[in-house]
Amino acid sequence: MMSFEIAEPQTLSEALALLDPEDPSVRAIAGGTALMLMMKSGVFRPTRLVSLRKLADAHTRIDARANGELAIGALTPLAALEDAPMVRSRAPVIAETLRTLSNVRVRNVATVGGHLAHADPHMDLPPVLIALRARVAVASRRGTREVAVEDLFAGYYETVLARDELISALIVPAQGERRAAYFKCTTRAADDWPALGVAVAVDGAGSAIREARIVLSAATSKPARLRAAEAILGEGTADAVLARAAEAAAEEADVMADGHGSAAYKRQLVRVYVQRALRRALGAPGVNERAQR
Amino acid sequence: MAAGRKTIRFTLNGKPVETEIANHHNAVEVLEAFGLFGARESCAQGLCGCCTLLVDGKAVSGCLYLAAFLDGAVVTSVEHLERDGALSPVQEAFIEEGAFQCGFCTPGFVLMVEQLLDRCAAPSEDEIRHYLSGNLCRCATYPQIIQAVQRAAEKRKASAAA
Amino acid sequence: MKTKDQATRQIGRSIPRREAREKVSGRAEYIHHLRLPGMLYGKIVRSTLAHARLKSIDVSAAAAAPGVAGVITAADVRKIIPDPYYGPIFHDQPILALDKVRHVGESVAVVLAADPHLAEQAAQLVEVEYQELPAVYDEVEAMKAGSAIVHEVLRPAGMFPDFKDLAGRRNTNLHLDFKLRRGDVARAFANAEHVFEHTFHTRQIMHTPLEPIVTLAESNGSSVTLHTASQMVSVVRTEIARLLGWPENRVRVKTAFLGGGFGAKTYIKVEAIAVACALIARRPVKIALTMEEQFYTINKHANTLRLKSAVGRDGRISARECEVWWNGGAYADIGPRLTQKTGFTAAGPYDIDNVHIDSYAVYTNLPPAAGLRGFGVPTLTFAYESHTDMIARELGIDPLEFRRKNLLREGRAQATGTVMRDAATEAVLERLAQRMSWNAPFDRGSGSVRRGRGIAIGFKASISNTTSVAIVNVYADGSCTVYCNTVDMGQGSDTALAQIAAEALGIPVESVKVAHPDTDLTPYDMGTLGSRSTFHMGQAVKLAAEDARDKLLALATALGVPVETTPIADLFRKRYGMQAGNVVGVATFNPKSNQPDHATGLAENITPNWMVGGTGAEIEVDTETGHVRVTRLVNIADCGTAINPQIVESQLSGAAIMQYGCTMSEGIEFDAGQATNASLADYKIPGIRDIPAVFVNEIVAARQESGPYGAKGVGETGTFGVSAAITNAIHDAVGVRITRLPVTPEAVYRALRANSATPLEE
Repeated sequence: MMSFEIAEPQTLSEALALLDPEDPSVRAIAGGTALMLMMKSGVFRPTRLVSLRKLADAHTRIDARANGELAIGALTPLAALEDAPMVRSRAPVIAETLRTLSNVRVRNVATVGGHLAHADPHMDLPPVLIALRARVAVASRRGTREVAVEDLFAGYYETVLARDELISALIVPAQGERRAAYFKCTTRAADDWPALGVAVAVDGAGSAIREARIVLSAATSKPARLRAAEAILGEGTADAVLARAAEAAAEEADVMADGHGSAAYKRQLVRVYVQRALRRALGAPGVNERAQR
Repeated sequence: MAAGRKTIRFTLNGKPVETEIANHHNAVEVLEAFGLFGARESCAQGLCGCCTLLVDGKAVSGCLYLAAFLDGAVVTSVEHLERDGALSPVQEAFIEEGAFQCGFCTPGFVLMVEQLLDRCAAPSEDEIRHYLSGNLCRCATYPQIIQAVQRAAEKRKASAAA
Repeated sequence: MKTKDQATRQIGRSIPRREAREKVSGRAEYIHHLRLPGMLYGKIVRSTLAHARLKSIDVSAAAAAPGVAGVITAADVRKIIPDPYYGPIFHDQPILALDKVRHVGESVAVVLAADPHLAEQAAQLVEVEYQELPAVYDEVEAMKAGSAIVHEVLRPAGMFPDFKDLAGRRNTNLHLDFKLRRGDVARAFANAEHVFEHTFHTRQIMHTPLEPIVTLAESNGSSVTLHTASQMVSVVRTEIARLLGWPENRVRVKTAFLGGGFGAKTYIKVEAIAVACALIARRPVKIALTMEEQFYTINKHANTLRLKSAVGRDGRISARECEVWWNGGAYADIGPRLTQKTGFTAAGPYDIDNVHIDSYAVYTNLPPAAGLRGFGVPTLTFAYESHTDMIARELGIDPLEFRRKNLLREGRAQATGTVMRDAATEAVLERLAQRMSWNAPFDRGSGSVRRGRGIAIGFKASISNTTSVAIVNVYADGSCTVYCNTVDMGQGSDTALAQIAAEALGIPVESVKVAHPDTDLTPYDMGTLGSRSTFHMGQAVKLAAEDARDKLLALATALGVPVETTPIADLFRKRYGMQAGNVVGVATFNPKSNQPDHATGLAENITPNWMVGGTGAEIEVDTETGHVRVTRLVNIADCGTAINPQIVESQLSGAAIMQYGCTMSEGIEFDAGQATNASLADYKIPGIRDIPAVFVNEIVAARQESGPYGAKGVGETGTFGVSAAITNAIHDAVGVRITRLPVTPEAVYRALRANSATPLEE
């Protein structure tokens, strides 16, 4: 690793002022677990890191808003998110997802904002947050804006954020009757990056489905909603419908081959895990949880 | 001071310390500079757990932790578990169950188990496996490690009751 | 003091490891930690091509970079080591690439700097110009006419007579062809009721010691000292002395605890580079590989294995033909020896009159291969135990029954002609059947979860004609130190050897220390590998301790004090008038065996002992995804007497889990010779969530008469049967046969689809 400058601003506006919209060698660093890997491998050679750690106190709160939304400070460590009673009660799928996300040490350090801004398609939370219709608050010297997590990712390790923008908070809307599930499927060892992640959220009671979201990650270059499959769920939750939705998901998913498996095999995994995730979300018995490795 | 370097002050194993670091150094290199070698960089990717240390009471991978971020922190390494010449119940349990072979990964496991038992006094086997899933042991002493966690939980319970 | 050779309580005691406290408190010594004043770090510049002529190396930019103390190339090395080739069987590996590179990752130059970050940075500035050559990667292709040739000329080391006739052979990648010819195979096949033939494949495996390979070398001008994480300090001394043209006593090799070895830290790895750099730079030089660099340095052979068997109406195997290709990579290392020594067991632990084995060591343009925990036996066992199961099932015979019918039993001759002694094949197989409840009903699952079970049994010959020397030095206070070159790399040798010495001397084990290897002080040992230390060094230590005991007894007699009751310290005090003096016991153990006949591979006494291991697996297959979960794993072993049962058990379970990784997930992937998964993020070794829920590890009651207190080695035995037990269980569950490791979920799913005549597209 080459030498570089570390700036430690005390406030968000100071941090924003230190970012450079034109210079890719200047980046914000929060927990740094992902950036350190990129720096060690030489993929990222910084000239300046803008450390956000002195901002932590102001940006690690988890608040419940009057409208039922959860507002989560971007510097909240993943472990704090995992343990927060408010998250466990309002969006239990987030806590469940975090249990097999990387490892305890990474979760102790990595932050919610960093996790999202890194835009590695293998990250577990983005598909879940997209399924839950979550948004991020984004700050820059020009002000703040909100971006749906669904619209955050532009491609492989790419977000729609400008170099001088920072995620300041994650907002998870009230889930109402929405039921959600996430499956992380690994193919090389139990503890691994996912070969694919499948998140589903089904809004509505019983078999009357108002809206369903099916989001695929890891097997694709960025998290992707499987809209054809979602549309089929308008017809209900009968086994045959779920099977057709899974078939449509396998058909439409733009999966990539890699060390986790071939494209044809991953398509089969999509077929299986979309069904399993839907069954789990719908609370159906007989869901084969054993296969979640 | 030269560019790319800074002085950091922190608490190391209960004592205030000060040292000059390079900005590109990680926490393992800082501990090494203090003659502490219990945390070891092995996979260099935060996956094996050999470089585990505690920062402000939380386990982190030293190989992925910038040295500069130790400034102002309370840092604990495995060397601090031994008190007045006595091993911790977790360390004793590892010995009694034979829960290590080459020993290279052992300090990392020991620190993680201390954390696990701080969080959960009597973890189930499933909880143990999940909590330790980010620590690798190529000698694969995993069955004995699970037994050691259970034994350490008993020891802690017994000493709390005493 | 104990005066008779009666058993006391040292043998068979599960005492904690002697170094337990140091290891749990982070204070155990590893070479990884070592720093010396004035030390430089060496960063190796590595080849980016698999096969290329070296046209030029431009080090000027690197040499001018900040903090760089020097850049070393082969031209510099040659000034101090004119013939800079090393290797245990062939002198084929240059310290740094000379005329050409033969694999991606080969060492081309070394950048030296006091700051490792600066060395690493400058290493990127070394410019190497190559002329690319055609390359060969597959072990079978490499033997075909027209293949790229990795080495123009074979250069056998000359130490071993059986390799001498290969010297100067040109235009071949085949560098050893071991042949075993027993009986009349052709006739047996012609007369056979049934003939079966199957082919199997395995991939390269990385040993992955968590303490990566590391050497620190220093020199004062007249001698050189290596601090190295090595399993073979004596061999390192011999080879470094040979390279330098110095007597052995000018080369000192020291080690500490090893953070795992598994065969990766054998022979020369980075020792020669470190020595060359230290002599050229005139400063201590540390070469510490990263995890990634280990993938370019050493691995386990990939194999192709073809087995063909003739079986009679009675279900007896009458003939077996084995052809085994070992992908040795670019440098032979110990591969040829493995090809031969493991090769002669390729027909399995079966009683077969007619055996024909060809075992080929083949060069390719991949990183070099060597032994990995089991020295090739787990690979062979995967093949012959899959083959055995396939035959049994095709014949409609229960796999256990078929094995019983053909098992190689005590007193019968193995393929080499050597009669089996103290090899508990029968006890291992029968205990395995019991612990698997083989005759009880078995839940076969339902829906998309199908269950199956399988067994496998393998055996290994101990490494033969090797020597261990031990010194037991009794101090005047009655404590003692064992001086030997056995390296404790986690297998617990410090503890087991202390127990043996204590037993022989009749003193508490707490009074015995085992010194760490330092060739200036500790005597010769062939190496800590092949499960040889408990047997070989154990016996040497026992004999040395008995020698010391006999001298103490003689001293007591001479002093006229009661032999049985006088404390050792009193003997010294009485003899020297104060706490002074030593009694030193010495012993050499060198069990004799024969080399196999060059033409037939036969030998009357091929090995000093046999290790036997059997594994049973119960598994679940998710038929929708191909995921396989091992729910129960049973390992049964014959290790003779267990010196320390707790350590033996953890050796068995550790070996089995390592082989579980080799079976289920591990395998180096190459693209044009470049390893594409050279990190623990992509090369997955087993973690705690991968291990089976139920795990049984057991030894059978047995005794190795020629071993110390009836003991023999156990470090590898748990690996033998794991792969085939799992693939046999998969077949039992879902009727598909996996013949290629690793058993990825995709491989299983594809096999399921092929089996149902709806193959999955590529």
